[in-house]
This record gives sequence, structure tokens and C-alpha cells, in this order.
Amino acid sequence: MGQDGKTLGRRQFFRALGGSTVVAAAAVASPMGATEAQAYDPGNEETKSRYRESDHVKAFYRTNGYETLKKNMDPASTGTK
Amino acid sequence: MARMKFLCDADRCIECNACVTACKNEHEVPWGINRRRVVTLNDGKPGERSVSMACMHCTDAPCAAVCPVNCFYTTADAVVLHSKDICIGCGYCFYACPFGAPQYPRVGNFGSRGKMDKCTYCSGGPEADFSTAEYEKYGSNRLAEGKLPLCAEMCSTKALLAGDGEMIAEIYKQRVIKRGYGSGAWGWKTAYRETVAI
Repeated sequence: MGQDGKTLGRRQFFRALGGSTVVAAAAVASPMGATEAQAYDPGNEETKSRYRESDHVKAFYRTNGYETLKKNMDPASTGTK
Repeated sequence: MARMKFLCDADRCIECNACVTACKNEHEVPWGINRRRVVTLNDGKPGERSVSMACMHCTDAPCAAVCPVNCFYTTADAVVLHSKDICIGCGYCFYACPFGAPQYPRVGNFGSRGKMDKCTYCSGGPEADFSTAEYEKYGSNRLAEGKLPLCAEMCSTKALLAGDGEMIAEIYKQRVIKRGYGSGAWGWKTAYRETVAI
């Protein structure tokens, strides 16, 4: 209070200003917290497994391991010609 | 569940770049972008090695960790894909990637970048399978056709392996058991004498 007891003194003025700044900052920050970033989710359909051991894939494995895996892999079961 | 992986057998790679060409042709990759490239170490010296590099579809992908718009996702096949609709072309993923996989088309002057482009393991993107939108943005979807990435299928020396991680690891392990590795591999001493070792 000022010397007359009615007006704000210098110290009271800055104290009041600081308090109002904290309240304003809190008001601005609260909506930002509410809108949290979300990771992109393309959905179950697009993330499902597409790989399958087709005859084509089995032929790839067989030919790439032809020196070593041919004894272990039965050509009849791999669908190769 | 099978986990899709690439494995390059450096004892077999002859730096023919057929994998690079096959990839560009299959997906109609734009000018200035190579989703795959061949890196050669000790070029021209005895014991030089080449390895074909692309996105390695990391389990804990650093590109996804740094992306500010979270455009990356991992499929059930453990393939790391991204949405070009969400990508803003910031380039963070390029700096995070240890393999230099993310590429950017130049869309204007002053170095402005377009949407990031990278290897999709021949499995398209978030659009519907075999759709025109998917092909235009990400290329063909061979995985959904029951095939494997064309780079690996095209490899003439069978250096580049792709497919179920356990299966290709077994193939590679059997190769190493049979022929050795590096300077211990069959033919190495004939080619490079015994003074060159890795």
C-alpha cells in the first residue's frame, strides 16, 4: 500500500504483477497438455502380416541354400519344378 | 511370426548394382533417389568388400524415434514403413538412420525437400494393397503377392538374402560352415595370397 493506505506501492505492484503472470501462463499451458501428440496408427488391416511361404518364396530359399540346404529340404515339399 | 530381414553375404557380392537397378525399376523410384545402394570398402585393393545397403527395418527404429510427426509404423512382419501423407520432409530420420536409408526428392530450389522415400521391403505402404495410390507413393507390393523383395530375388551371385530372419540366418550359417568366412573362405588365398587377411 502506498503511504496513504489506498494506492499500491512499488513492491506490492510487482508482487501482484508476478502472481497474475503465473495464472496466465497456467491458463495457456493447460490446453497444450490436453492435445498430446498421437503416434500414427494406420489400422490393423495395413499392419497385418503379408508374408507367407508361397512356392515362390520356398524356391528362393531352396536356390539360395542350394549348396547346403538341399539335403534338408525336400524338393517335393518346396513346390519346385 | 516371421520377421523380415535383409542379409548381404559380403563374400559373394561383386558390386554389380543389379539390386539397385532392380529396385529403381520395380518401384519407378524418381530421379535422385536410390532406395538401395552398394557400398565398397578398400575399393581396388586386395581384399575389397562390397555390401548392398538399404533400410534394414530395425526392431527399434531410430528414424521412428526421432520423427516429429510420428509417420512411421511397424507391420506384423517387422517391416518399418511410413506414411507420405503425414511426412513433412524434415530430414530428422536421415540424420538418425545409421544406414543412410531415408532419401528425399528435390522438389524446388534452395534445397527444399519432398516427402521422405525409403525401402519398403517391397510391401507398399498404408494405402490399400495393389491400389494406384500405393504404387505411386511407395511402389509395388510384392510381399502381398507372396514374393520377396526383388533386389534379393535378382541377385545373380545370391549374395543378398531376404525373407524370414531365421531362414536366411540358417542359409548363411550353413554357407560359412561349408566355405569359411573372409580370409578363411574358399579361394581367398588363391586370389589374395596369404598376406591379406580380414
